[in-house]
Amino acid sequence: MIEQSAARLFAQNVDRALLEQFEAGTWPQKLWQLSADQGLTLALASESSGGIGASWSEAYPILRGLGYWQAPLPLAETMIAAQLLSLAGLDVPEGPITIIEAGRDTIAAAAGTGLRLTGSSVRVAWAGSCRWVLVSLTDGRIALVDLHQPGTVHITPRVNTAGEPSGDVRFEGAACLAHAPNPLPALQEPVRTLGAIAASAMMVGAMEWLLEQSVQYANDRVQFGRPIGKNQAIQQSLALMAGEVAAARVATIVACADAPDTATQDCTATRFSAAVAKVRSGEAATRAASIAHQVHGAIGFTYEHSLNFATRRLWAWREAYGADAWWAQRLGEAAIAAGSGGFWPAITSRHFDTGGRS
Amino acid sequence: MQTVTIDPCTLPPACEVLRTEVRTFIAETLAGYPAAKRVRNWSGADPAFSKRLGARGWIGMTWPKRYGGHERSLLERYVVMEEMLAAGAPVGAHWVAERQSALLLMRLSPEVLAPRIVPSIARGETYFCIGMSEPDTGSDLASVRTRAVHTEAGWVVNGRKVWTSGAHRAHYMIALVRTGTQGELRHAGLSQLLVDMKTPGLTVRPIINQLGEHDFNEVTFDDVLVPHEHLIGVEGDGWSQVSGELAFERSGPERYLSSSQLLLEMLDAADTKETRHTVALGRITASYATLRQMSLGVSGMLARGENPALAAALVKDQGALVEQAMPDIAHDLFGGVAPPGSALAHALSYTARAVPSFSLRGGTREILRGIIAKGLGLR
Repeated sequence: MIEQSAARLFAQNVDRALLEQFEAGTWPQKLWQLSADQGLTLALASESSGGIGASWSEAYPILRGLGYWQAPLPLAETMIAAQLLSLAGLDVPEGPITIIEAGRDTIAAAAGTGLRLTGSSVRVAWAGSCRWVLVSLTDGRIALVDLHQPGTVHITPRVNTAGEPSGDVRFEGAACLAHAPNPLPALQEPVRTLGAIAASAMMVGAMEWLLEQSVQYANDRVQFGRPIGKNQAIQQSLALMAGEVAAARVATIVACADAPDTATQDCTATRFSAAVAKVRSGEAATRAASIAHQVHGAIGFTYEHSLNFATRRLWAWREAYGADAWWAQRLGEAAIAAGSGGFWPAITSRHFDTGGRS
Repeated sequence: MQTVTIDPCTLPPACEVLRTEVRTFIAETLAGYPAAKRVRNWSGADPAFSKRLGARGWIGMTWPKRYGGHERSLLERYVVMEEMLAAGAPVGAHWVAERQSALLLMRLSPEVLAPRIVPSIARGETYFCIGMSEPDTGSDLASVRTRAVHTEAGWVVNGRKVWTSGAHRAHYMIALVRTGTQGELRHAGLSQLLVDMKTPGLTVRPIINQLGEHDFNEVTFDDVLVPHEHLIGVEGDGWSQVSGELAFERSGPERYLSSSQLLLEMLDAADTKETRHTVALGRITASYATLRQMSLGVSGMLARGENPALAAALVKDQGALVEQAMPDIAHDLFGGVAPPGSALAHALSYTARAVPSFSLRGGTREILRGIIAKGLGLR
């Protein structure tokens, strides 16, 4: 149901003209509104918050679709924010919401009945397009902040490799609209961890599209009197690419299955599986983008050809919510701490027994 | 375009109960089993260990009881296999017989050969080797020249097989032989025969590998007489029968776990404060977790009766990349600094010499990628 509606929405509404307008700075309001009307923004939020109450596995096609159709929307961020807000019993505001996993330098201080935030975060996805941000704080709270607070919220606009508007956000005593304890206390860094799963799913979608395009191009493009796909050198590259895409897909689908849904909120394997998915998808993105470009030759290097809309997204998303090396470091620390005795049990149970850390 | 997708498969709770039993068994049975032997992984063979596994009911777990099997699920079998491999248990003696030979006999000779032989495979007493490669037949399996001629007394086999792993300890070989002409169809005229390794005229000579070990062999057939009823399946159908067998040969967890002992040694030698260590070992951890899900996914396909040939080729290709990267990563992190004589230094040296075979055995990387490319709709 979710799968069909997301597929239809993106297939019918995302085209080259929309992407060009988007990269020229136009916010795709119609596409956003259609997504919101179909409930995609609140897919992960509980029904009592007006959402669908879907599991991450059920919502996976939306995230994958963002990559497959290269839909330029802060939908992943909004879905995650809405899930955390609704789990915490807070109201979900209208419109796009971005997310921040704050570092130790971001301090929340009590002010009357509310909170005021001071600190900064760089490369906040879609910061320029969103009215709201959900901040996950190191003190174990989450807070919702209105980004339109002149004087206390400063945004330095950035554009990422994909052409998506991000921004560096600085809070100087910014008022919080609402706050609550992290509703998933078993999950460390909930925004970064769930963001990593979402980015992995988006990369899988973009890679699946790239693989289809590359196979199609190899079958169509004729050189030396035959399709280039007849060459073993091309076949071997595309076969390797298929393996990378399949690996990223499996890792990501498992991570979605291990992500907390609104009903059970089980986070036992979430951190481990998110790390695995982000590492494996990030690695696959690097290799798949390279092979797709090599197969497409010079035409794929033009702006006019659509290949770059997917490959630039892969290069942006492999960095988002912790690059593969960042997550590999976390996994490696836990694996070394577990040692030869604890490693394999961690692989089969999908979590490291490290007393709550990592 | 056909997409190659593998869906993950969730293990039922019963599997985790079994896993605990297997871990306890391994801890007891292999206590003191040295790292220098564990490093051999499924190339390590110990008939006594195979018989103990058979006695526990952990060989032929999925087979019908009439063949000495235990009628448990494919996923339960998967759990036993992955636990054995992760521990470096010496499962090599019975591995091939359990993985593919018994299946072939039960499927294609259910009344004659299977009842006679399969129960002893399930007991861990009878071992098989696979007679496919020949001096002039490597990846191009259809070019097999070992010939079997139908006579009144039986099939008379002449020819030569090479790279036959475990032929020196196997009781039987399933040999791919030429019984007809190749003709228009390259794959025509091939058949599979069950050959008793004690038959007169059959000679096994060791071929020592670059590890200095005796694993594979040259097997010559000099007028070897094979009974008529030892023809497996249908005369001339050898190619399609072998293709079905290869899916099982390629799909298991042994296709990514072969270098596990070196990984474990690295984990014990590594430092959580050293970024080079954590990033490299974290990447392997992610690959292990992913390959396990892919491999399990293929088992799920088998359990649902789907054809996993394409997915199996893909998992084996991905698995070999990780198994083969292991000694290179170990060299990067510990080359020249692992203490001489340490388990790590031994595992590094051993695994570096072992891994070139991982993308050759069971279908070369190039052949597997050719299969995948075809599946993608290329050529």
